[in-house]
Amino acid sequence: MDSRQQYAGMTIENMSTPQIKIRTGNQMIAEGALHAGCLFFAGYPITPASGIYKSMIEELPKRNGVAISSPDEISALAYCVGASARGVKAMTATSGPGWSLMIETVQYALMTELPVVIAMVQRLGPSTGGATQGAQGDIFLTEYCTSGAYTIPMFAPSTAQECFEVTTLAMFWAEELRTPVIVLSDKEIGMTSEDVDFASLKSFPVNHRKQIENVNGNSYKTYDFKNLSDVPLFAPVGGKHKTTVTGSAHDKCGALQKNSPETIEVLRHLQRKITSRAQEMAFIKTDDDPKAEILLISFGITARTAREAVKQAREQGIKVRLVNVISLFPIPEALLRNAAIGVHTVFVAEENLTGQYRSVIQHLFENKRVVGINGFGKMITPNDILECITV
Amino acid sequence: METKIDSMELVYAKPETLTDTPMHYCPGCGHGVAHKILMEVIDEMGITENTIGVAPVGCSVFAYMYMNVDMQEAAHGRASAAATGIKRVLPDKFVFSYQGDGDLAAIGTAETIHTVNRGENILMVFINNGIYGMTGGQMAPTSLAGMKTSTSPYGRDCATMGTPIKMTELIANLPGAYYVTRQSVHTPAAVRKLKKAIKASFEAQKQKKGTCFIEIVSNCPSGWKMTPLESNDWMEKNMFPYYTPGDIKVPQEMK
Ligand SMILES: Cc1ncc(C[n+]2csc(CCOP(=O)(O)OP(=O)(O)O)c2C)c(N)n1
Repeated sequence: MDSRQQYAGMTIENMSTPQIKIRTGNQMIAEGALHAGCLFFAGYPITPASGIYKSMIEELPKRNGVAISSPDEISALAYCVGASARGVKAMTATSGPGWSLMIETVQYALMTELPVVIAMVQRLGPSTGGATQGAQGDIFLTEYCTSGAYTIPMFAPSTAQECFEVTTLAMFWAEELRTPVIVLSDKEIGMTSEDVDFASLKSFPVNHRKQIENVNGNSYKTYDFKNLSDVPLFAPVGGKHKTTVTGSAHDKCGALQKNSPETIEVLRHLQRKITSRAQEMAFIKTDDDPKAEILLISFGITARTAREAVKQAREQGIKVRLVNVISLFPIPEALLRNAAIGVHTVFVAEENLTGQYRSVIQHLFENKRVVGINGFGKMITPNDILECITV
Repeated sequence: METKIDSMELVYAKPETLTDTPMHYCPGCGHGVAHKILMEVIDEMGITENTIGVAPVGCSVFAYMYMNVDMQEAAHGRASAAATGIKRVLPDKFVFSYQGDGDLAAIGTAETIHTVNRGENILMVFINNGIYGMTGGQMAPTSLAGMKTSTSPYGRDCATMGTPIKMTELIANLPGAYYVTRQSVHTPAAVRKLKKAIKASFEAQKQKKGTCFIEIVSNCPSGWKMTPLESNDWMEKNMFPYYTPGDIKVPQEMK
């Protein structure tokens, strides 16, 4: 069951018979981006994300898009943000080491309100880590990479099929909010080939950031808003209006300012425009048992394991509700609280050392036992979960 | 490994500074020969105890398993920067960096240029196979014009991707570059020339002359999708006309 009707989405092709093709998650992220109208991709090779780069390099030229190889990840994201300043939907893909280099420009995109989608295909870290080992250890590194810890919308697919859906979702919110958005995948999802039914692919609506209509003379302000939560109307560079863009603290005109009340207002607005839409972004998939006594929360590859564990647990008579979190950030607080109604214990399964996601959601479950199921250096197995939830 | 040959003359033994560990490189890859020659010179100069190497991220990440000197594997592109730090605090040790073309001429471009510009007193070894080998044969800044790779399926288009970068010629222009040469490892004659270049570089380092830079044009049979022999042939026919082996900058006193 999808948490929101609109997320149930429309299937993009109305075919009654399944159209099964074998695809990797990486290929489906590329498919999703192309479907959502992404016309610019910049890439630098890195396992396990290179498949996205390869697909986009093959496909974009056929659609009059631009696909460009960069000499490093610093440039890759900067190219994307440049294209975005013209209003072109742009994406890049990387893994932990490359992400580390992109952080400068992620912050720049956030500050300049230029949408971009980054597919982060996690591998084992820290540092160069293990290129071909899976992990879900980059949740903090990815989400909290900005000075000030601004909320970066982050969506996590758990199957190749979902990679498509989630990427269209990321593209939608990037445009809607004019901000960088993350698709958080991992090595197992990214590089494993599996069945994808193209007849039942779901897509989020394809949108474009709202543009400014004609304004007189020089009265256009790059970052104009009335309420802190408003998303400023966009004017492309090289268009009718003079636009000024800066990664430095700025006023509504986009002029560098220190500490002026208007500048502080702009900085607050960067966060408010995202959190004010948190409920709309909230997206979980629930496999319910109305009589559930325990709740199992997971995401990404571990949600797959969790599904199998829940099936086996139910055969043993255990009453368990399963929640697969798609919108990791903003944290879907209301949905998670709601999902915990009636249960005495909440389990959070994730493939990292310290329980990163658990640590940011556990406060939602007052008076309940919250237990982490963590794997490290290898995938969590259904049995690992079963052992925890059946005691 | 013990070499015991009686009544015959010993004509070859594996350098002692090269470990016995079987190499992970693909059959025919130039990395293995380059490793061996580097270690052979270190053996002959008797500097094993005084040498520190910095390996890259790339196919040669495992260099430390084969080179029996102190080794660091730097982050992708940062080998010459890490080597700088080491050399500055241990100026009397022999320090070398060893990097692929993606590492040295793409993501590490800034480090490369500034290391040489400072005339950092190290040896930089640059293995140019025109491709990102380790990650699956993607196009690198060094890939040849028209070259088909996994990320240039239609061939490298120089109009949009630039002409293949000649990093070695580029850094040769910097005053900090003392000795700059381009070599290869695909024939016995080439190997002998490379050996001389490495020896000259370590000698120069002893005399604190500045940066010595050796490009080794090499093959990538797997990435190029060729047999080892085909790849060497292709290299001679296609890489050499563009990346022509030979000295690029030789100081007067070395001539
Ligand atoms: C910051 C960062 N980006 C990307 C990578 C992925 N990566 C590992 S090796 C490599 C390419 C190495 O190619 P090259 O330097 O040409 O050496 P080769 O493997 O061909 O010897 C890349 C891109 C990484 N480890 N770190």
